[in-house]
Amino acid sequence: MKNGLIERLQKVIPVEWLNDWERDEIFSHLTYHEPLVEKAVIEQLGIIWPISSALCFYFLDHLKNGLACLSTEQLPDWVKGILDVYEADGLQAARRYMDDVEGNFLCRIRGEKGLTLAEIIPKLLPYIRGLSRKTLDLQPSASLHTDTNTLFLPREITSPANLSHNFYIYKLLASFLWAGIEQDIYCQQQTDPETLENFILSFEDQKLAMACYHLLQTVRVADFLKAYLPGLIRDGQTFFRRLRKEADLTDISPETGDGFAAVRSWLLAHCANDPLPELSGETESIIRKVVASDTHHKEVFAATTNFYERVRCHQEDFTLPCPLFFQGELRPQEARMARLSRREEHKQQFIKALAAVIPSRSAATQTEAEPAEKNQAHEVSESGASVSPMHQDGKKEKPEEDRQDDPRYICLDDEHLELPEELRHVAREIEDDLGAVPSFYIASASQMAGGRGRASGINLQPEEGLPLHGGLLYDEWDFRRCGFRKNWCSLIEKRIVPAKGTFVSHTMEKYRGQILQLKRQFEMMRTQQRFVKRQKDGDDIDLDALTEAYADVRAGLVPSERLFVRLQRDERDIAALFLVDMSSSTEGWVGTALKESLVLLSEALHSLGDRYAIYGFSGMRRSRSEIFHVKDFTEPYSEEIKGRIAAISPMDYTRMGPPIRHFTMVLKDVDARVRLLIILTDGKPEDYDDYKGEYAIEDTRHALIEAKAAGIHPFCISIDKEAQDYLGHIFGEINYTFINDVKKLPLRVPEIYRTLTS
Amino acid sequence: MQIAGQKIEEHLIHERPFYLPQKNEIIIAEAAYKNGIPLLLKGPTGSGKSRFMQFLAWKLKRPLITVSCHDDLSTSDLVGRYLIRGGETLWMDGPMTLAVRHGAICYLDEVVEARKDTTVVIHPLADDRRELAIEKRGELLTAPPEFMLAVSYNPGYQSILKDMKQSTRQRFIALELGYPPADLETEIVSHESGIEKQLARLLVRIAEMTRGLKDSGLQEGASTRLLVHAGLLIKDGIEPREACRVTITQALTDDRKLLYAIDEMISSVL
Repeated sequence: MKNGLIERLQKVIPVEWLNDWERDEIFSHLTYHEPLVEKAVIEQLGIIWPISSALCFYFLDHLKNGLACLSTEQLPDWVKGILDVYEADGLQAARRYMDDVEGNFLCRIRGEKGLTLAEIIPKLLPYIRGLSRKTLDLQPSASLHTDTNTLFLPREITSPANLSHNFYIYKLLASFLWAGIEQDIYCQQQTDPETLENFILSFEDQKLAMACYHLLQTVRVADFLKAYLPGLIRDGQTFFRRLRKEADLTDISPETGDGFAAVRSWLLAHCANDPLPELSGETESIIRKVVASDTHHKEVFAATTNFYERVRCHQEDFTLPCPLFFQGELRPQEARMARLSRREEHKQQFIKALAAVIPSRSAATQTEAEPAEKNQAHEVSESGASVSPMHQDGKKEKPEEDRQDDPRYICLDDEHLELPEELRHVAREIEDDLGAVPSFYIASASQMAGGRGRASGINLQPEEGLPLHGGLLYDEWDFRRCGFRKNWCSLIEKRIVPAKGTFVSHTMEKYRGQILQLKRQFEMMRTQQRFVKRQKDGDDIDLDALTEAYADVRAGLVPSERLFVRLQRDERDIAALFLVDMSSSTEGWVGTALKESLVLLSEALHSLGDRYAIYGFSGMRRSRSEIFHVKDFTEPYSEEIKGRIAAISPMDYTRMGPPIRHFTMVLKDVDARVRLLIILTDGKPEDYDDYKGEYAIEDTRHALIEAKAAGIHPFCISIDKEAQDYLGHIFGEINYTFINDVKKLPLRVPEIYRTLTS
Repeated sequence: MQIAGQKIEEHLIHERPFYLPQKNEIIIAEAAYKNGIPLLLKGPTGSGKSRFMQFLAWKLKRPLITVSCHDDLSTSDLVGRYLIRGGETLWMDGPMTLAVRHGAICYLDEVVEARKDTTVVIHPLADDRRELAIEKRGELLTAPPEFMLAVSYNPGYQSILKDMKQSTRQRFIALELGYPPADLETEIVSHESGIEKQLARLLVRIAEMTRGLKDSGLQEGASTRLLVHAGLLIKDGIEPREACRVTITQALTDDRKLLYAIDEMISSVL
């Protein structure tokens, strides 16, 4: 019998790959099965073994379980499923997959599909962002956890119940993860980031300590959620009840159960709103301590130590149960990394944005003040005395109940500086993280701003040379001298050779439904009809006007001649010019999205009848600023134009000043009631030469001020992730919008145009 | 020739309107009144701008004349016109004239909705001249010290066609009335709709969540007014989630995904 088995096994797994121990292990699993089943299993072993021997043993472990509900014919498909999961998410995920044959495999082949995260992200993301009021992200992952920036949720949820139930499970998991962050189970609102990790390290059995801590924190989080989102927990009563039953936690008495099971039982009963299990006095006091509303993390630590000791002394060889389904994993290290990277990001953002608002001092006082300022900056970074974050009421520390307000003022050299909106927000985040804005942030910002002229002057020294001739010449604003550099940039207009290809038709196909909808929406704007009253002639008599005129006559006044109403289509006297960033950074996704949005926009505007023009811009150095002609105001939207849109491709840099000045001139001559200059860009203005940072931002800002003075409305649509800090400064608070998801751009652009002009 | 008109007494507010101050807005408004400077109220819809005006009028014991502006509002709608009655012509004061004559408070709600040529009428009234010219009657009214002009608008619209002219806006003292802080809002919702504080707090929580959706494509979050509506329906025995669905979710957006997300927020909280 055994020999026959060896032979059969050798056919699929070469004998030298197995040691004795492994062979025996395999045999022990196989001997119980009928020959037919055995044959099928051995075949599958041959498939799994080369991929992972560890998986092979797990497979054998789960085999009995699997064969209980699978037929031999279904075995190959099941193994295929296991391998798919193994390759995507690893061994643990494959184990979990094998655990639930019914939910993961059988449901699916019966056609009961589960719900994937990808399907519900559009709905779940706004939910979780609304909940957290932060930009938390969602990502599929093999295990449930969070690094406090992103919530990692299972790729797919299959449960025998219906899809809406699966959505509920996703919502529940996401809410629990969020509440964990909110309730600070990663101890991030403390100044020392390593507290939690150090705390866990102080235990002999760290795994157990972590599990104890996690369980107690889950109790705390669940208690918080029950009060904060009562509906969520109430909807899950049957779910929690089932979980409690499945984990065999319904009958826990203070004598039998170890502390761990007791707390888990209490937790699930609490969530399910069932009668709470009777607990031993000590366990109960631990829970009571944890759920007290004002629990500090120190107290949870103390409770954890207490709990850990209890579990340990109760049972020496205690085996940890799997964490509860909605608990996920606690990964303090990832959270710490995420926190550090977030802190660095905030620091950079804050310093840059603050430097931009600190009033620049005149060059003369600057040189004098230089050494002093330097000393001071040095000094404050140690003492934190004279530069400190201030709040409106002048108190340095915010009272607790005032936490909702973002910090509004910064005290700098005895001067109160009001923070702009975005900066306030960043400052708030930093305060949440560090307790207060560190003084050296402000010091470096003030250094950056103070040394603006000098330090950046080195690379901002203009290239030597005479003003340029040839092409179109435009001035450029130099913020340091508060004046123009005359005829500084030369601008060349180029034509785009239409590309032959399928880009436009593909786009039209891709957004077919949306284009139809857009057209309908835009047509509705066009056919807005209304009665205009008090006209000299028209379709009908204006009774109000007539009565008034009659009354005027009687009162001895000269009556008005405007006595008619006329049905009038609302004249949309709008001319819009779209200026598209063609810098090299738009290569790839961004460029495609920009082009797609132009196609959608053209389709929509075509049905609306507004006059519009499209130009691209790029260039390198002040001697070669380029604009690319796609469509001017008079050209109709034609195949030729479509070809040109398709031919838009990334070129060089983003020198925004010259094209804005050029099109200000162009738009000035267009006869329209409203003239719009809409800039589509993916980043800051920047060129190869000294056109960078402050200088570029200030020049662009000035070019836009010139445009506004000429009666043109500039508006910016940006897809830069860091856009918030400088766009408001360049364009003015309400004259920009930014889109953080490139994929949404094509549909958002026409929508933005619609809101802008209606 | 007679002058017809509404009775100014009808505009007096006798009962104290329910208003809880967010910050120092009442003190500032009173100072503006004392100094004869007009008031500009900025804030999202349903955040209590109109209620604030009612409260102010009650406090100052002046009649309040409210004009809801729309794009067909003409100058004579504001100033007044001749009517004919029984073969006689009759001058009828517009709301603005009425307010100036009687030293009332004239409140132009959503002033950006009115055409720009209409709003220019208020210019001489809104600076130190404090005059209103009634062209048809050849009359120049000077506003008594009790008269006050107030306008409101919602800066969240982002439409260039609906922005205020600089020449108009620079005549006002501007007060921003945002959504009240959570505790205050809870109290307002509970008082206005008569529901328990605990339930009101949950409604406010929903509103806070929707206000966090601005980056996800929602133009404006749920206003205090919507919460009051929801509270009223709940008070009338409608199932809380359903009440919120019809008053909050559906009122906020038509976007299917956002509708779904907001519904989920509601079912999480209630």
